[in-house]
Amino acid sequence: MSALVLALPDRRRIARLAIPLGVVITSLLVSLLLIAISGRSVPEAIEAFLDGAFGTAFAFGASVNRAVALSMVGLGFILAFRANLTNVGGEGQIAVGGIAATAVALHGHVADLPLGLAVLLPILAGTLAGAAWGGIAGLLKVRFGTNEVISTLLLGFIALLMVYWSVQSTALLRQPQTSSATLPESLPIPPLTRLPGLTPDPESPLHVGLIICLLAAVATAVVLQRSTFGLRLRAIGLNELAARRAGMPGGLLLMAALAIAGGFGGLAGAIMLQGEQYYLKTGFSSGYGFDGLVVGLLSRGSAIGVLAGALFFGFLRSGGISMEIMAGVPAALTLVIQGLIVIAVAGSVILIEKLDKEPR
Amino acid sequence: MEETLAIFIASTLRLAMPLILAASGELVSERAGVLNLSLEGMMLTAAFFGALGSWATGNPVLGICCAVIAALAVATVQALLSVHLRANQLVVGIGFNILALGATTLLYRIIFGGLSREEIPGLPKLDIPGLSDLPFIGTAFLQQSVFVYVGLAFVGLIWLMLRYTAFGLAVRAVGDEPRSADKAGIPVLRVRYLAILITGFMAGLAGSFLSIADINTFTENMTNGAGYLALAGVIFGGWNIGRTIGACLLFGAATALQFQLPAMGINVPTAFLLMLPYLLALLAVAGVVGRLEPPTALTLPFQRGK
Repeated sequence: MSALVLALPDRRRIARLAIPLGVVITSLLVSLLLIAISGRSVPEAIEAFLDGAFGTAFAFGASVNRAVALSMVGLGFILAFRANLTNVGGEGQIAVGGIAATAVALHGHVADLPLGLAVLLPILAGTLAGAAWGGIAGLLKVRFGTNEVISTLLLGFIALLMVYWSVQSTALLRQPQTSSATLPESLPIPPLTRLPGLTPDPESPLHVGLIICLLAAVATAVVLQRSTFGLRLRAIGLNELAARRAGMPGGLLLMAALAIAGGFGGLAGAIMLQGEQYYLKTGFSSGYGFDGLVVGLLSRGSAIGVLAGALFFGFLRSGGISMEIMAGVPAALTLVIQGLIVIAVAGSVILIEKLDKEPR
Repeated sequence: MEETLAIFIASTLRLAMPLILAASGELVSERAGVLNLSLEGMMLTAAFFGALGSWATGNPVLGICCAVIAALAVATVQALLSVHLRANQLVVGIGFNILALGATTLLYRIIFGGLSREEIPGLPKLDIPGLSDLPFIGTAFLQQSVFVYVGLAFVGLIWLMLRYTAFGLAVRAVGDEPRSADKAGIPVLRVRYLAILITGFMAGLAGSFLSIADINTFTENMTNGAGYLALAGVIFGGWNIGRTIGACLLFGAATALQFQLPAMGINVPTAFLLMLPYLLALLAVAGVVGRLEPPTALTLPFQRGK
């Protein structure tokens, strides 16, 4: 009898999957209802959505690239969250990563460097810039006890305005002004500093960022599950005082956690720049940081969860854009859907927690 | 010169007003331990429904009522999720901001269509015969939209409430020591709920100020970060209402300077002026400008016996 019970899959595990899934499906149904109410054809909208998300090699690649950037931010988020640190600054970390990668990629002879350095140096610069940006929040936390939610949020806005500044001023990254119509953008980065494509298909924008992302996901999972560092992060997250008493370098760990989270954001920024956008402009990070935070939080600390969530949001955004172009459904509706999903999933977390507490 | 200064003061006040309204409401929530990233979304929702109400009824006061009701609706759901269901306040806030941007853009296009810039009935400007025409004081302080003076009265009420009422005391207790407050018999969840509703009410005023008193039209994403700026104002104000208002005035002045400085031939990068509020707030929380402590339980959900 007891063997039979053991053989049954754990109810909690099912619930953990079923609840978010149910919420997502419900929100999608609500969205279809909204489309119908707004007087558009539902089948046409669905077709346009699927076409834009998966339909062509271009659509599929664009969705996956989007997911790559979201995953990077999400992975950084869960790593810091393990130490009970909430990194709200993904948006800004992407922004500084983008600025640094642009600056390096456009610098003199970087494009001529051999051995892949032309691609790697800007990526490295972006990552380091993001890490520094996250590290500032860490330093403030350790040195002055500043709440990281507040500092990363403020640092985020500062970084967004730094992008604005650097593309407004020709002394910084703005392209030379040849006429009054010159846009406030940087020059496009040289082709040799761009991320190589992943498939021989010239239609597909899919780039090697995907591989970097998968490696990062594995690394994050291993660090969190199997390493001393991961264990220490967890310890300091559960009880900072006890962890310090046990001899752990508390301040250093907290700073490292936020710097790594920031580094992931910066890496995402560099990948977005070198993989797809190729030049810096205002609004470069366009909400990826906040979406990444949501992905990280909803994944409940699992790297696979981050990848799944990022893919979902990546396809949702791409499909939404296509719905606007092909079926006349305003892209704003995708924002509505996404907002509803975020709110609903966040609200459903308590159901999972309740199940966790039930006696077995 | 004097005239320029008077105009500068007047535009500072006008630009700071939505921030002051939103920040003083948000202050109540934060003192009770709830951070509403959704402030931006509440304001945007209010700006839209304020414009819609005023346009549909032709009466700006009814428009403001619509705005307040809409913002209160957002606040109610925010409270339900983050207080009762203990959902993560930041995620709920981000969700609402995405939702508000999407929903207002969508409704705006459906109702007003495309890119109409339809004028919306607004509130009159103050005109006290004799006083409003005074050379300096009149231009600087007494020619604002009447909304400014009504709004300031509400801010005064919040100040009185936080400082002198039992509810104000309960708010602070719940934000700093929810467990002790609970033991002392204060209904922690109810106090937080009410605090968020007050934030919603004020965000409703702030949002409708933008669309009804300031510009008299709605544009997509018209708050454009004003909610976040108000959050920075609360932080830079060290969770103290007087200083928060001061911070918002300073932010308003920085925005006003953007337009004033080029006119005076002084060249300061706009980006720097835009960045200044966030930079100041960061320096403030970092302890450079005196020691600031956020409420101890900020962003932490409360659950009895845990």
